[in-house]
Amino acid sequence: MKTMFRVIKEQIDSFYLIRRLSLFEMKSANSNNYLGMLWELLNPMIQLSIYWVVFGMGIRGGREVGDIPFVLWLITGMVVWFFMHTSIMEGSKSIYSRINFIAKMSFPMSVIPTYVIFSKFYAHLMLVGVVTIILQFTDYSISVYFIQLPYFMFCAIVFLVSLSLITSTLSTIIRDVQMVVQSAVRMLLYLTPLLWVPAGMFATIMKFNPIYYIVEGYRASLLGQGWYITDHPALTLYFWGFVLLMLLIGSSLHVKFRDRFVDYL
Amino acid sequence: MNNSVVVKNVYKKYKMHTKPSEKILDLLLPKGYGEDFYALQNISFTAEKGDVIGLVGVNGSGKSTLSNIIAGVIPPTTGSIHTVGQASLIAIASGLNNQLTGRENIELKCLMLGFSKKEIKELEPEIIEFADIGKFIDQPVKKYSSGMKSRLGFAISVTVDPDILIIDEALSVGDQAFAQKSKNKMMEFKKKGKTIFFVSHSMGQVKEFCEKVMWLEYGEIKDYGPVEKVLPEYEAFLKKYKAMTKEEQKKFREEVMKKQSGIDPKLVK
Repeated sequence: MKTMFRVIKEQIDSFYLIRRLSLFEMKSANSNNYLGMLWELLNPMIQLSIYWVVFGMGIRGGREVGDIPFVLWLITGMVVWFFMHTSIMEGSKSIYSRINFIAKMSFPMSVIPTYVIFSKFYAHLMLVGVVTIILQFTDYSISVYFIQLPYFMFCAIVFLVSLSLITSTLSTIIRDVQMVVQSAVRMLLYLTPLLWVPAGMFATIMKFNPIYYIVEGYRASLLGQGWYITDHPALTLYFWGFVLLMLLIGSSLHVKFRDRFVDYL
Repeated sequence: MNNSVVVKNVYKKYKMHTKPSEKILDLLLPKGYGEDFYALQNISFTAEKGDVIGLVGVNGSGKSTLSNIIAGVIPPTTGSIHTVGQASLIAIASGLNNQLTGRENIELKCLMLGFSKKEIKELEPEIIEFADIGKFIDQPVKKYSSGMKSRLGFAISVTVDPDILIIDEALSVGDQAFAQKSKNKMMEFKKKGKTIFFVSHSMGQVKEFCEKVMWLEYGEIKDYGPVEKVLPEYEAFLKKYKAMTKEEQKKFREEVMKKQSGIDPKLVK
């Protein structure tokens, strides 16, 4: 418990640093490409179009999801998935790939996964902006439910930070964990209602995946489907319980090993 | 209290593994698994403010490990280190981000050292002037020559005004002009009463700067004292070592290895 509060305090105290470092991170990630930041938008767009063709037109035969056109259902869910996907991957790599550069510095190590996640967040905001603009040309223009979106963004970030605290620590000690994370993320894509619409038993099982809550929350806010937080109180509680548990495990693991990270290189 | 660095009974132990399976065993077994290797053994010393200490010793005697430990980059296995003020380590491969430009690297490094935006703005011209890399400052660091990289790294580390400066063979890459500039800077630091640790294989440089010398041998302090006393002893040892036949050198190395595996009965706790 104590270590959790310590890690949370470190995050809050270093917030300025997180913001600045994440900007540098983004710059150095894109400096090799001529189109630079634009790829953060182009990549998802290309992926979305292929998913639309394969899952929407092909497998679903163009049927709607409830009364929502499949393409909109797909975009509104995937917009947050792209952010989660890259953040989980980069987050778990964050410590061991940067420790050489960072070990000589004087700031808490727990900030490293956070600033890496933040560097992905800017692209996410841009993508959400683009999706919101697209939605204005459909029947699902902006509604009062849109104000839930910042809350779900917050959920996504807290979820990612807690998860990355665990994965970044473990993958520094045992590099194989990175491979496990990679396969797990690939599976998660299908264990979350992103590409296909689950029915029956699957629909219930999927609710145990905490990302379900975030994805559905994004959909509810972007497509104006109601107050998701209070409409599904059980899911809200489950999600926060899950995150709290991860944060507890993550921070105690991280604090236990962080002094010796350099030795594991 | 004039002590600037107090090191007490520091040991640094590494585990040697030959196979990945041994690594897994080491993680799983409560007592660990694998052959021990002591990079440092029972290091205790005190450095006062204004001391300029040369670290000498043959390859693998633990000079870099000790400087990393003083800088707080790696933790000791047991023992304690107490440093007053901020320590800054300058090594040849000083952590610069290759993708970013020199200017961005300056900002990034200062940021990580905890400077505010305003302070960084003030420091930046000073660093650029000291590094003296001209137009390259706005080029990505990956395009730099090795001399430029070390100049930039050195410039950043000295301009942020640390209380303890640890220089790990970083002066050996720059050209004469830069070496002179660095020397002047170090003299300035010396006058300000900062503590400097200087790792070098060049006896000339050590003689020139240092007042005290610490001679490390297989991870232990062989001798620690004023230059006039320790350096001649070390030079005599080097001469003897060079004059040894191949068999004698081999024997010496084997002895060293044995000692560093922690077989020495004193070390068994």
